[in-house]
Amino acid sequence: MTDKDQVDRLRSDLLRAYYTLSDINLFQAAKWCAEALNGLPEQKESSEDYPDELPHGSIGDDDPRVDQNKFLLAKTYFNCKEFDRAAHVLKSCKSGNALFLRLYSILISVDKRATEQTDGSINIGSVNELTDQQDVSPNNSKEVVNDLNSRLSKIIQESENYLSKNDKGNAFLYYLNGVIYNKKKKYQLAQSNLYNSLKLFPYNWSAWQELIASLNTFEEAITFISKIKAAKSSLSSNIMFQFFEVVVLQEFYQQSASLFDSLNTLISIFPTFTFLKVQQFLIAYHSLDYFQAEATFDQILVDDPLRLDDLDTYSNMLYVMEKRPKLSFLAQFASMIDKFRPETCCVIANYHSMKCEHEKAIMYYKRALMLNKNCLSAWTLMGHEFVELKNSHAAIESYRRAVDTNPKDFRAWYGLGQAYEVLDMHLYALYYYQRATNLQPLDKRMWQAIGNCYEKIDKLEEAMKSFEKALSIDNYANDDGEGVVGVEPHICYRLATVSEKLGNSKDTYKYMKLCFEQEFEWGITDETSKARLWLARNSLENRRFEEAYELAKDLTHSNAHDIEEARSIAREARNRTSK
Amino acid sequence: MVSNQKTPSQHNSTLFISPMINNRRQNLFITPPNPQAQSLFDSPGSNHSSFFNLDRGNLNPEASSSSSNAPPNSHGNGRISAAEPLTPAEKLRLWRHDALMQHQYKTAEFIGDKVLALTDDPNDAFWLAQVYSNSGNYLRAKSLLTSKPEFEKSVSCRYLAAYCLIKLELWDEALDLVGESNPFRKDEKYQVRNSDGGIKLEASMCYLRGLIYANQNSFEKAKESYKEAILVDVKCFEAFNELINNNLMTPSEEWDFITTLNYRDADDNDELIKLLYTSRLSKYLNVSKLEEAEHILREEYDLGDNCDILLSRADYLYVQCNFDECLSVCEQILRKDLYNFDVIPNYLSCLHELGGKNKLFLKAHQLAENHPTNPMTWLAIGTYYLSINKIIEARKFFSKATLLNPNFGHAWIGFAHTFAAEGEHEQAISAYAFAARLFPGTHLPNLFLGMQHLQMNNLNLSEEYLATSYQICNSDPLLLNELGVIHFHKNNFGKAELFFQEALGAAKYLNSDSKTWISIHANLGHVYRRGNQPFKALECFNQVLKISNKNDSNILAAIGLIYLKLGNCFKAIDILHDALAVSPSDPVASDLLKRALESNKNNGALFLKNAGDKLLDLNLPTLQYRQRQKKQDLIGTHQADLSIQSNKFTTPLTNKTKVLRKDELTANVIQRTHKDADTTNEINLIAHDLEKGEDSSDEDEEVIMDIESD
Repeated sequence: MTDKDQVDRLRSDLLRAYYTLSDINLFQAAKWCAEALNGLPEQKESSEDYPDELPHGSIGDDDPRVDQNKFLLAKTYFNCKEFDRAAHVLKSCKSGNALFLRLYSILISVDKRATEQTDGSINIGSVNELTDQQDVSPNNSKEVVNDLNSRLSKIIQESENYLSKNDKGNAFLYYLNGVIYNKKKKYQLAQSNLYNSLKLFPYNWSAWQELIASLNTFEEAITFISKIKAAKSSLSSNIMFQFFEVVVLQEFYQQSASLFDSLNTLISIFPTFTFLKVQQFLIAYHSLDYFQAEATFDQILVDDPLRLDDLDTYSNMLYVMEKRPKLSFLAQFASMIDKFRPETCCVIANYHSMKCEHEKAIMYYKRALMLNKNCLSAWTLMGHEFVELKNSHAAIESYRRAVDTNPKDFRAWYGLGQAYEVLDMHLYALYYYQRATNLQPLDKRMWQAIGNCYEKIDKLEEAMKSFEKALSIDNYANDDGEGVVGVEPHICYRLATVSEKLGNSKDTYKYMKLCFEQEFEWGITDETSKARLWLARNSLENRRFEEAYELAKDLTHSNAHDIEEARSIAREARNRTSK
Repeated sequence: MVSNQKTPSQHNSTLFISPMINNRRQNLFITPPNPQAQSLFDSPGSNHSSFFNLDRGNLNPEASSSSSNAPPNSHGNGRISAAEPLTPAEKLRLWRHDALMQHQYKTAEFIGDKVLALTDDPNDAFWLAQVYSNSGNYLRAKSLLTSKPEFEKSVSCRYLAAYCLIKLELWDEALDLVGESNPFRKDEKYQVRNSDGGIKLEASMCYLRGLIYANQNSFEKAKESYKEAILVDVKCFEAFNELINNNLMTPSEEWDFITTLNYRDADDNDELIKLLYTSRLSKYLNVSKLEEAEHILREEYDLGDNCDILLSRADYLYVQCNFDECLSVCEQILRKDLYNFDVIPNYLSCLHELGGKNKLFLKAHQLAENHPTNPMTWLAIGTYYLSINKIIEARKFFSKATLLNPNFGHAWIGFAHTFAAEGEHEQAISAYAFAARLFPGTHLPNLFLGMQHLQMNNLNLSEEYLATSYQICNSDPLLLNELGVIHFHKNNFGKAELFFQEALGAAKYLNSDSKTWISIHANLGHVYRRGNQPFKALECFNQVLKISNKNDSNILAAIGLIYLKLGNCFKAIDILHDALAVSPSDPVASDLLKRALESNKNNGALFLKNAGDKLLDLNLPTLQYRQRQKKQDLIGTHQADLSIQSNKFTTPLTNKTKVLRKDELTANVIQRTHKDADTTNEINLIAHDLEKGEDSSDEDEEVIMDIESD
């Protein structure tokens, strides 16, 4: 019964929140609210406790009738996409919500104009050819951007003015501040503003999203969450906070029992909420459980066939899984629904990339970015495409944009590292790999890459340590001492060569041996063969001829030169033993 | 008949010799007697007096009675004069006068000539010459006025003759006529009241002398003459205007001077005049007094909407760098009075400052259409070209403006700015120097000179100019900022800090988002940075970043340097990346980045410890979870799964970077040589570079901000 009560209360809360949000023209948040509302279990009968009278802008501090007519007029202008006009109408309005709508219109118009003036500024890749032409206008576009930036500062000033005068505050103005501070990369300020906003009005999912965007490292996120929990405000017990926590953990590639627990609780409350299914999908995708992920998303598509959100991620996964027919179908399907959605463009770009038509893929990524310049994955993926085309500089530029819009994208950091490594700028590469590692410390490849870099810049000690780390990650949490599971021969071999360079023969022997031993588990690889050869040579030198013979005689998988050497070792070892 | 005219003294005005003056009451301020009494207030030429009368009428009741008396009185005059029959000559004079007022010069000339022939009176010669000069025939007027010695004796004739010579640009002859100094000064009777209420001829002569001196480029003498003119008669606004508009006096001089004036000449209007004059003074000093004056004018005299009061407000806002407000005030003025020229310099500078190119274009076109010969027009066009960054064209039009009016300071400074914008320091210096000669009373040309020399690294010369500038005005934050920069360059950090603090104090009233404010903060940050106070410096820089609407790469580079010095190279690299994102080709930032990366290389152990262990701990739950999953897998299926999983594990990252063929890309490889030297030394070296970059960029900002801020 209490459960039903809870659901009912949630229902009415969400409904009220929906009206408030759509009243103030926060469409995405309202959409989320409505989806959540429909994600709740069906009501048995149209109950009478349904709120009849529609609450109007109740979140505001002030009488909704203040400025009402102007507000309505401004809203219609806003809906007709005449943002400046809307802002102008509200010029003399006093209420907090009116001020929000005005500043919000200004923000949108500034953003729109910035995009228009800079032509979306996605001339990456053509950069090299266009540098001369670009030199003509950068001043101009820079000027424009500066001008717009100064208008952003003015928006903040105005809203902070209002907030400092009204001690009750206005949730949406706080939200607006948070958005702008995020834009200006003042994450601390953004966090405090968004926190204030959410305290006043927790059902604004856009604000939660901005909050997530302002958290740049996992450490930061964890401390922030525990801080909210410690504050014991009503916020931490709100259901929205659970959503937040789940998404944060998901975005930082976490998997833990508690995460699944809270996700499952949410799903039990919202059994048909697509958003939660998408989270499930993303978690599975991040933990590389592709089959599970695919099944989840297929279900989503069945439930909500015309949904395009997150389709790009799904297509990435299909690409990795090399499911070509399915990806082709998806591309056709998406372009049938709406050709000019960034998600659609990403799907089509993936399709082209799969067919090795990289130029076309780039074109579609550019289109996606033109439609939404904050399209997170498009920048990174475009970088990958440029790498395919061997255009490292464009790739770097592209990756840079990617980390600029989303510093949490470890793939972009890793891509930057790779691109710089190709250019032989190892110091840069090292830094980027370090960034990637910070985001993804459980990934062996990150540590391997760092080790490589250290080796290149003659920091052999550090290289050793990095490789060791890469080797030990799987065993890090393995307290029960169950022995080494799955050691990659490649890493062992690198460790061995590095310690050889360091003149540490004991370690060299140890790792060569370890590498060689992997032959049984992984099959014969280049590295194991090399290790075998080295071991054979080593035994020969140490006059353990039989061992050397045993090792050398079986070496068959390697290049001609090595095989030749192995034969000679085997011959010599046999000669010596027979003596 | 011949002798009914009076001879004016230097204490009289032309009112004194106007026809029928003898019939009028002494305290009534009506210029020319007008046959049509009804249209008294509208008749051209009487504007001035009617203005005063009306005002006075509103103000003090006892005066209003006299003003309301005026029309009946002049009726009375008419009646009285009708009672006493006029002589034929007097009738002709009235005719002549009316024709002159109605701009019917042929008539006036015809009749005036006859009157003169009849009377041979110097006053009639004066009025005839007036007719000539009004119709633009200065040479004729002058030759008439100098044709007879008795004409030359008359003060009014001498005045008009000098005026005509000035119009003819015959400066030396004009100076001969008015004398090199005031011939009446020996009277030492400044206190002699003017009986007729007009402007004393003596003052007017002094004004003319000032005008001549100014055109002969002897500004000190010109200033003295103007001052004398106002001292003789406070009503000589022309001279006051010249003094203020051309900044012939320093701000403090202006304020001293205004208190020495004798406002009694203005009679009942003394208070009003004093307030009006006060509102025109330099806005650098005595802000409270200015505001008080403005308040009184607005509240008691109801002049709040008057263009001049608004203009004073606009000036004040401009000095405060509050361009938005200033622009709106300017637009208000222009709405009331579209052809007001006084407001145009402010209006143009505001538009330039705020990037209102379109409005500049419109205004320039309007002006060019309506006033093609006014230098202001060409100033507007030049400013327009300057703000769309067409330096050559801008220079052309500025120079045209200076040709039309060689004493046009705004145009000279704009002209100099065009050179400065192109980095042509020498030419900029010579143009600024010219402006400095034109306006000995304003500190701006000297400031610009100092800035130019600073950019050319002539520290001593620069300091000299700045010191001169400082003597004139010691409260301009920009100037104080520059002085700070000089001391910074001389490694005089204590003094530099002092100046910057002072500048901040002076800029207290500025809008906090103004460029000056930002650059002062930035410079203060640099001082702290050099002075080994990294945390204070960081605070300053962060303040800058918070306020500044753009991310300045120099500031970011400086912050990066500080972090580097503090040993936080990860953060340093981060910040430097931001700097390079703002301006990708910044050599200082990229060099610093190289160094930061270098030190990152050496800090490897730290990273391994921090990142490695801490992050792993944070991610422990995930790891454990994975382990458990794996174990379950192991139990459930056989080991082959594991390898599949691990293989999968590698896929998403290399998603599309399947093969990186390094050999093929070696063509792209950029070779970089790293100098291995003591890092700290190099950091200092870099720091030096950074300063240079920083300061010069600051100056750029200032140049832009100061365009026509005079």
